[in-house]
Amino acid sequence: MLPTPHVSCDYDKVYEPSEDSFLLLDALEKDRAFLSQFLGSKAALVCELGCGSGIVTTFMMQNDIPSKYAIYVPTDLNPWAIESTVSTAQRNECDQQIFSPVRMNLAHSVRSRQIDLLVFNPPYVPAESVPKVPSDLDTSPAAGQEDDSTSDWLDLALLGGDDGMVVTWKVLENLDDFLAPEGIAYVLFCARNKPLEVVKHMQLQGWKSELVEHRKAGWEVLSIYKFYR
Amino acid sequence: MKFLTSNFLKCSVQDCDRSNDNFPLKFNGEKCQLEQDESLEFNPQFLLRIIDRVDWPAVVSVAADLGNSSLPPSKPEFADEELSEEDMVILRDLHTLLIQTNIVEGEMVCRNCGHIYYIKNSIPNLLLPPHLA
Repeated sequence: MLPTPHVSCDYDKVYEPSEDSFLLLDALEKDRAFLSQFLGSKAALVCELGCGSGIVTTFMMQNDIPSKYAIYVPTDLNPWAIESTVSTAQRNECDQQIFSPVRMNLAHSVRSRQIDLLVFNPPYVPAESVPKVPSDLDTSPAAGQEDDSTSDWLDLALLGGDDGMVVTWKVLENLDDFLAPEGIAYVLFCARNKPLEVVKHMQLQGWKSELVEHRKAGWEVLSIYKFYR
Repeated sequence: MKFLTSNFLKCSVQDCDRSNDNFPLKFNGEKCQLEQDESLEFNPQFLLRIIDRVDWPAVVSVAADLGNSSLPPSKPEFADEELSEEDMVILRDLHTLLIQTNIVEGEMVCRNCGHIYYIKNSIPNLLLPPHLA
């Protein structure tokens, strides 16, 4: 088993690595050989959307997932998450990796069809709605201020609206635009997301999809599916 | 952000997807502060693969924004098997530019809608204000 990266960040503002994060690490570890073969020896663009603490991107960088020829561009809305991702990478000596985090919404600012490996642990908890993005002026690290609204960032990392699928659908519906022609996506679901229905829908759109890992974690059943053309 | 990252970023405004001017973003050279990260080791095999996938005109255009007009207009080509001394010189230069150059502070503008994106502490912020998102 590959070692889990050391993470240090402020869990009042950034999602703390939990069962879902660890399942994603296990799925990527399990598929390590598959990924290196699937993506070949080209320079792969790897985008983790909503990188949070940075544990998943750091794990990939430490273990040359998908290969030693990878460019890591993790994204998050939350400025504190970007900051944590940078420090988690530093703590785990990833200094020889090509690593350049960007603050953005999902992959909406990445040029079309460039991402070779997309990894997404979404806000998957069913909720009445997806929270609004907190205002930048008072919560960004650059502003140097803190107030109660920082906890709004945690809600944003957790709550996924209807069926917990509102944000995940934004990625799946844009997957054709996000993924390179030979790209692949790993997405995490909980049982209340109705992953079997989602997968069926994606297959009808022509996507290949397979279950990579699933696990009962407390009262949740989590699963990770990969999607490719 | 690394210079290389500019090759993957476009304007976040959805309407700009219909124009050809949302990529690359135009850097305001006067406002940009660059830093060289010399700790990153030169890896010619990796660099060849990176050059293979980049949009070369965008590399040339961003380099020019940042004050480097020395790049050839068309993508350099390399014979895969053995790299000549001359190839290595070019590859080292591109390593310095694409991988070691960090844009620490600065501004990027969409050439279609004119929206300005800021880079602070090496992190570009591509989020849109609520009225544009």
